Order: sequence, then structure tokens, then C-alpha cells
Amino acid sequence: MPVEQWLEWTRGPLFRFALAVMVLGLIRLVVLNGINLISLVRHSYDKKMPVGVVARDTLRWLFPFTRVPASQRFFTLVSVAFHLCIIIVPIFLAGHILLWQRGLGLSWPAMHQTLADYMTLFAIATGLLLFGKRVSTHLTRSLSRVQDYLLPLIIVTTFASGYLAVHPAVNPAGYDATMLVHALSGDLVLILIPFSKLSHMLLLPISHLVSELGWHLVPEAGTRVARALGKEGEPV
Amino acid sequence: MATAMPADVRPAEQEQGEEQDIEPAVKRVPPQAGQQPNYSFYVEPFKLEERPRRFLEAFAAILRQSNYGPVLDTYCRVGAKCSVCTASCPVYQVTHDPSDIPCNRSELLLKVYRRYFTLAGNLKSRLFDYFRLTNEHINTLTESVWRCTACKRCKYSCPMGIDHALVTHLARWILAEIGIVPKALVVSVRQQLEGQTHNTSGIPVPALKDTCEFLEEELEEVYPGAGISFPFDVEGCEYVFFPAVSDYLMEADTLMGNAAMLHATGTSWTIGTGNFDGIDYGLFYSDAMWERIIKAQVAEVHRLGGKSMLIGECGHASRSAKEGMAYFIPPEDQVPVVNIMELAYEKFRAGQLILIPDAIEERTTYHDPCNIARKGWIIEQPRAILRHICQDFVEMEPHGCDNYCCGGGGGMVSIDEIREFRTLVGGKTKAEQIKATGAHYVVTPCANCKKQIDEVIKDHGLPQVRTGLHDLMLKAIVLPNGQEPILQEEED
Ligand code: SF4
Ligand code: SF4
Repeated sequence: MPVEQWLEWTRGPLFRFALAVMVLGLIRLVVLNGINLISLVRHSYDKKMPVGVVARDTLRWLFPFTRVPASQRFFTLVSVAFHLCIIIVPIFLAGHILLWQRGLGLSWPAMHQTLADYMTLFAIATGLLLFGKRVSTHLTRSLSRVQDYLLPLIIVTTFASGYLAVHPAVNPAGYDATMLVHALSGDLVLILIPFSKLSHMLLLPISHLVSELGWHLVPEAGTRVARALGKEGEPV
Repeated sequence: MATAMPADVRPAEQEQGEEQDIEPAVKRVPPQAGQQPNYSFYVEPFKLEERPRRFLEAFAAILRQSNYGPVLDTYCRVGAKCSVCTASCPVYQVTHDPSDIPCNRSELLLKVYRRYFTLAGNLKSRLFDYFRLTNEHINTLTESVWRCTACKRCKYSCPMGIDHALVTHLARWILAEIGIVPKALVVSVRQQLEGQTHNTSGIPVPALKDTCEFLEEELEEVYPGAGISFPFDVEGCEYVFFPAVSDYLMEADTLMGNAAMLHATGTSWTIGTGNFDGIDYGLFYSDAMWERIIKAQVAEVHRLGGKSMLIGECGHASRSAKEGMAYFIPPEDQVPVVNIMELAYEKFRAGQLILIPDAIEERTTYHDPCNIARKGWIIEQPRAILRHICQDFVEMEPHGCDNYCCGGGGGMVSIDEIREFRTLVGGKTKAEQIKATGAHYVVTPCANCKKQIDEVIKDHGLPQVRTGLHDLMLKAIVLPNGQEPILQEEED
């Protein structure tokens, strides 16, 4: 199959498949977490949802100036910039919106192309910085799993190939091949979202909520555990 | 503190924990088959057979009966491994040992959860045989969760809000169910729940009354003729008083300050002879014990027809009572839980507690106990009082809800055999903070922090004097008739 056909395939059926996987996967996570949250409040006396606290703790991360240890401030800012870029650019890029319009007739205002270019470069730079940080110290390596190395690289690949595809002047490879890499890696990211730590894009506030509700301990749980383990009435 | 056992009570066959080398973390000699592992703290003999199986049974039972499953589920999914939390953990900051990274500590339990309680983990293990729970893993987990002071600093620096203190809390409960608990804690809880005296220090009621009589005599010297007393078993009071019982043994000035404040403000309060210990070590290792202890305390409040539980100067006692009340006591039986500093502040602000301004000349600083400060519950109240009575009040950096743990949190302070770890590792940052203030007094309103900071000061050779809030207030409280305290000589 020639490259153009592959490209059509990655932008057509594969993209729709990836999108479906992402949406269904996220819906699954919402349902599972919804059940979890309900069970968290159902068993405890305290049924209040600490919404205010959770909103504050979650949003604090968009403005990482307070409660972030000074030594982590630089990379926290880098990380926030990275996150903002990789969320905003794919959604508001004129080229992407065009695809939506052609495929589903959906459309929304696009961002300025120059801004998109700068944000793309910024995403690549911050992504590489974060990757560099991860590989550079014993501490971060000791924490990292395979996905922690691969995900930033896949995301950087998507952005780099996207940038090259629309800037032929700096592109050493051909348009089609570059675009193919872009579309393939982009689809891969979508597919990975619900199955990797990327799911935190949805689970972030839920995680904060769970940390609060997790402390709503269940009355009589201790007694029932003792009964289940055949230790009822045993001395301390 | 309460659990400090005289050396001769310690079982001879248990050796002192190995020499503490700080970097890297303690490596232990693997135990011979059939021999109890040599943990860094004393553990009463526990059953050695089939520990992994029994661990998993206990884990399964706890997951079924409690709320922890959904929490672990979420944490397994969102852990970003971003390392931000490393900069906030006082233990990792000193040891720089990867196993002390909060995210790695929690991973020890999450790994077991993933393998045995999730579908994906189950499948993965069938295909690749990737992880199996072993005795060694249980030993590693044990050491690890008893190196965390459950101070929750990491929770507030984790973008995902992962609460490692909650994971530590759960892991300790599972371990307790198979008999692995620091002996110091379990002995105290046994004394409190099953002993004759119903308190962790084993103080009989006649001895308690003697102590209080003695304190009344001392108070008579500070406020002659005022008749400040420690009322026992008065029914229908506003407040039933639960200090950490160790205060009766070691913190005379705190208790005298408490009584003087309550007297000066005309508060109706009493000590119940059925249960007068605010300590609840269940918070540190078992929800089952936490629940039994808070229930016994609340029963005493109801026996006396009291309206609220008044907790003395103690962080963990305050939190375990306040949260325990909300979690374990049916709403119809709940009573408000008030920390004595909240009460003092309220009376001070309402003009019912008169304090001599600038009564304390020496520079004074304040250490926030994690259990009352981290979530912002009690931060400003004691400071308002201190700024009023001290000429030179200075802060440690950071303080308030970002404070550093004293190093004795999470029940660690009661474990005497890990003192070196507590003061030289867990308490190192605190020592530096205290030193930097150049203060004379370090005020801390918590029985745990008091003992730990005493030891930190000693082991780091610092010149500071540790005290409680009410100890200082005792030099500043003016009785309603205008009587001022006659200052006593400071013995040190
Ligand atoms: S709770 Fe405190 S001691 Fe424990 S891991 Fe977190 S920061 Fe470290
Ligand atoms: S800050 Fe949170 S997500 Fe990041 S390494 Fe620590 S626990 Fe993991």
C-alpha cells in the first residue's frame, strides 16, 4: 500500500477506532470510579462530599507557587506548561478542527497558527526536559516504570512530527511520511489514555476526592474483620 | 511517654535494634527459618507459619469490610511517579534512600493489591509470574511503614493528592492483624482496653487523685487562696477532660495551666474516673483498636452526662477523637470534640480569658503538631495567644499546615528502641528549624511532640527549652478577681 493510503487509514478508520477506545475507556473509568465513590460514602456515617477542599487541592496545581517545595518549583512549572500545551494545541489547532468538520460536521474556533507553532515547540522542549529529568537522577530512575519513559517520548514524537509536517522548510523527510508518523503516534496516545497514567487527565480531581473520602472509615469494620479472621473476642 | 517501659521489663531475648546507619537505610540480617525477623523495633512473638497467606487473608477481609479498596484502586491508576513528593518527606530528605520515597513506600502495598486483588494483576501473574508475596516482602513493608511518621506532608505536595499516610495506615493495620505491631504500642492499647486502669500508663484512680491534689497545692502557690481544683466525676458538665494521660506523669505545668485557664474562664469541666486518657494508639496501627478506644471514651462522656469531649494538649488525641467521633460513633451519640487550645482561644477572643501581655520575655517559637495543623484545624489559635503573651514570638520556616513533623509522629515516639532514627533522621530537619529560630522556648501543644522534641534537643545538643502552651499561659493568666500569678522559679 502506498503511503497516502496508509495515511488515509490512520486518519480515518484508525483514528475513529482510537477515539472510540479513548471515549469508551474513559467512560469505563468514570463508571468504575463513580461506583467507588458511592461505596466510599455509602458505608460511612459522614456523607458530606468535601467538594470545596477537593476543588482547591486540584486547581492548586495549575498555580504551583504555594505548597510546592522550592527545589521542585522549576520542574513543576515546566510540567504545568507541558500539560497546558499538549491539551490546548491538539484541540484548537485549525488543521485538526478541519478534520472534525469534514468527518463529523463539528467545528469550533481555532487558535492562531503562530501561537500554535510556539506552543508546539514549547511542548517539545518541556517534554524533553521532563524526560531528561527522569533519566538524569538516580532518584527519578528508581521511581520510574516503563510507561514513564515511553509516554513522554511518544507525545514528543507526535508534536515534533506534527510541527515538521506543516513546516516543510525544516522537514528533512517527505510530508506523507512525517504525517504518517504524526497520525500513528497521535492515535497511539489516544488509545493509551484510559490504560496508562495518562488517565489522570480525568482522574485527577477524582483522586483528590478519593484521598479525602478514603478517610471516612467504616464503623464496625474492625469487628467484622476480626470475625472474618476468626479472632473475635481475642485479647488485644 | 506513656509507653516508655523501664529497661528491666523488656524481654531479654530481644536484642537492641542494630546500630543505625543513616545512609543507606538499615539493612538487616535475614532471619533463619523458623526465627522471628529482627525488626528495628520490638515485636511480641507472632506466628511465623504461612505469613504471606495470612497477610493476604487479613488484607482481603479488610478490603471487604472497609473503604480502602476504592482508594487503592485509584492510586494504582494515577500514580504519576513525578518525584515531587521527595522534596517534602522529612525522612527521605535525610536518608536519600529510594526506599524512603513516599511513592515507593506506598508501592510496596499497591503491588500486593494489584497482584492479588485486581483482574489485570491476576492475569499478568498467570502469564509472567511477575510478583509473589513473600516473607521478605512482608519484612520490607514492615520496616518501611514504620519509617513513615504519617505526617502527610507528601500528600499536599503530590499533584495527584495521593495520601501515603493513608496507605501507611492501612498497611500497618494489615500487619497488626498478623501480629506485627511495635510492642510499645500494643502494650499500651492492651492496658487501656483490658487493663484494670483503662489508661495507657496504667495509672490507678487513687494515684491520679493524689497527683491532682499535688497539682492543686502547687497551684495554691501560684494563685494563693484561689482554690483552683481538678474536679472529678461531676455530672452534667459542659466538658469532660481527656488529656494524654502521660501529662499526669510528666507535664505538671501543662495540666496546671489547663486547670488555671478553665478556672479563670469559669468553664464547667470534669475528669471522669472511669476513663481519663485521651491517647488513642489505634490511630497508628488499627482501625479496630481506634474504634474500641474512642467508643470507651465517648461512653465515659455519656456516663457523666457531659456535653463535649475536651482534649488536652495533644495532637494525635485530638485528631483521633475528632475523626474517630465522626467515623465510628453513631450520629445520635456523637458529641462535639474540642481541643483545649480552641477553647482557650475562644475565651481569650471573647474577653473572658485575661492574659498579661508580654509576660514572656524570652524569644519563643511554636511547633505545629501535624495531626492538628496539616489540614488547617488548629494553627492560628495558639499563635494569637502566644503573640499576646510573648514579647518576641518567631516562626519556624515552614510552619502551619506546611510544618515539618517532629519526627515522632505516627506513634513512632513511643518506640524507644528507634530513638536514634527518630531524632537523627526523622527529627533532623526539625532540629535545624528549631536552631534557626534562636528561640529560648519551643512551644508545642502535644504529648507526642513534647517527648520527641525533648529528645531531639538533647540528641542534637540544642540550647532550647521545650514547653507547652498552657505552661507558658500559667505565667500570664489573670483570674477574674484580678489576681495575677506569682511566678515560680524555673527548675531545669
Ligand atoms: S507521611 Fe510524612 S514521613 Fe510518611 S512518606 Fe509522607 S512525608 Fe514522608
Ligand atoms: S508526588 Fe505523587 S505522583 Fe509524584 S511521585 Fe510522589 S506520590 Fe507519586
